Amino acid sequence: MKHRTPLALLATLVAGTAMAQDVSVSTTTIAQTWKQNTPGFSTGTFTPATEYVGIDAVKLGGKDALSLHFYGWGMADLADQSYIGGKSTGDFTYGYLQYNFAQANAQLKAGRFSVTQGIGNEPVDGVSASTDLRCGFTVSAFAGTPVIFKNYSNQNQSVAASQRDFMFGGRLAWHAAKVGEIGVDYLEDGSSPATQTAPAPATNPTAMVYTRRLLGVDMKLTPCDSFDFSGRTVTDVAPLLAPAAGINISRLAEDDYTATLKFLQTFSLAGTFVERNLFSYFAGSTLPSLFNQNEQGMFKATGAKLTWQAPGNLQVVGDVRRTDRESYGTTTRGGADLRYTLPESHILAGVGFHKVNAAQVQAVDLLVPAYSLSHSEARAWIMAEKGAYSASLDAIRLHYADPYLNPSLNGQSIESAIVGSVGYKAKNGAKVSGDLTLEDSPIFGKQTIALLRLEYRFGLAGKGDK
Amino acid sequence: MLKKFALLSVALGLGLMVACSWISPKGSFAPTHPQALEQGRPTCSDCHGTDRVASTDKTFASFNHTEAFISNHKIQANQDPATCAACHAQSFCADCHGGKTALLPSTKLGNRPDRVSPHRGDYMTLHRIEGKIDPTSCFKCHGRSNNETCTACHR
Repeated sequence: MKHRTPLALLATLVAGTAMAQDVSVSTTTIAQTWKQNTPGFSTGTFTPATEYVGIDAVKLGGKDALSLHFYGWGMADLADQSYIGGKSTGDFTYGYLQYNFAQANAQLKAGRFSVTQGIGNEPVDGVSASTDLRCGFTVSAFAGTPVIFKNYSNQNQSVAASQRDFMFGGRLAWHAAKVGEIGVDYLEDGSSPATQTAPAPATNPTAMVYTRRLLGVDMKLTPCDSFDFSGRTVTDVAPLLAPAAGINISRLAEDDYTATLKFLQTFSLAGTFVERNLFSYFAGSTLPSLFNQNEQGMFKATGAKLTWQAPGNLQVVGDVRRTDRESYGTTTRGGADLRYTLPESHILAGVGFHKVNAAQVQAVDLLVPAYSLSHSEARAWIMAEKGAYSASLDAIRLHYADPYLNPSLNGQSIESAIVGSVGYKAKNGAKVSGDLTLEDSPIFGKQTIALLRLEYRFGLAGKGDK
Repeated sequence: MLKKFALLSVALGLGLMVACSWISPKGSFAPTHPQALEQGRPTCSDCHGTDRVASTDKTFASFNHTEAFISNHKIQANQDPATCAACHAQSFCADCHGGKTALLPSTKLGNRPDRVSPHRGDYMTLHRIEGKIDPTSCFKCHGRSNNETCTACHR
């Protein structure tokens, strides 16, 4: 099924494109080259070439509402192997038929697409439908086979495929003037029991449970122009196979809310609150070495962001965020960004600085019992266009507080990267650009990376690269 | 048997008729923004003022591409993807949200420093720090897909 689906969609694409009255094509070819000689990493000369292809065929069969969309990429190494998956690889990202009704925002989709309904955000081979109802209600639903990517190990790959056999979900929402929109969401990924897992996933770090059942509430409240409140709560409602006695597991996966207040015409203040319970949030993890439900800790974050849209196309943003991970400690990140736009001259520029004060990592080492993760980050960038020519420069500098005790830093406190790019856009929609990146990092040392980019687009008027 | 089939057909037909009568008579959101927008992040309320989107009742001001909106765009994208699609092609989302990606978004878009793009510079060093501080921010993209590179070390 999985191998036949892309072929069937490709055949549909070719046939559909032939029937379309308006076809938009975008291709991006990127060739890179760099040398790497870092202990512990692949060494050699790398020259990967990557090709991205996107096709949007609209007005299929003369019908305005019917369209076909395709996007994918392929990569091949022209020298040493640079990608983990092999010297050549690729991905069929999406390919679907879509029918948009002129009434009620009604929409039908079939093929491979990303589910973005409510709490779902995953690729699926299947169908989806959505429509607005009377009295402010909206309903949407999807069903199909989840797209499973190669991960972890071959053994667990088959376990994942056997558990994640079917995926479906839906959302029912209601909206009203002076209120906004509130929705209730459900997502179920996998209908087969996790037969190959240990009986108590909460206490067994090797247990692999890929099936998920998530129930959530999302909202975006916009009572007036000057205030909006948005966010969601997600709970993990999958039955535990056999919860270990004495362990109290919270099933709350996530609270994530933002309130934004606009005042004095040019100011806005956004406050955020995030709370994630790792056991439920990591449900269905395919990378348990990093995202292990066994940890059972809680992550919380609160933050504020003040934006001033100053006269003369200058935007100033100040932000602070305090995070608290139960098993690690508290971190505070604060700083500011400035962004300047000159539309007449086609110039955009920005500068930013952030300082991160982090708790000490408790290391299991008598000589180095603890080290700091504190650091600061500075960035400056500019991009400009004049006629057919364009250029940009982007510089980042990180300063780490504990270069000698932190084993990741190899005694180097400064990390920097500069990316310079020049481009030329021809009248026929083709654009060629070249990037040169100079990096100096604690892990890879000094590196120079060259990149050549060829972009070709036609028929994407009014949509796309915004 | 025939009687049951007939009853089921009538019930299904009636159900469809009732369901169709529930569908909103309002027009759909414009599939493409009628005017070309200037370079940079749009402020929808500059032109739409205090208007609300007819089909969702939300204020246009709540779509202004402020810093807060961009860092929290998932809610809008999950509720009303049609509003995003008026200006953005689906491939715009795939630049960062592909289930499997060939290049870092910041490498693919190296000529677009204005775009918000994760993992700028050599992120290898910094990921060891940010991963300890907040692993949930990594999980959103790498927890269930897009993790082939992670598994090279994190087995």
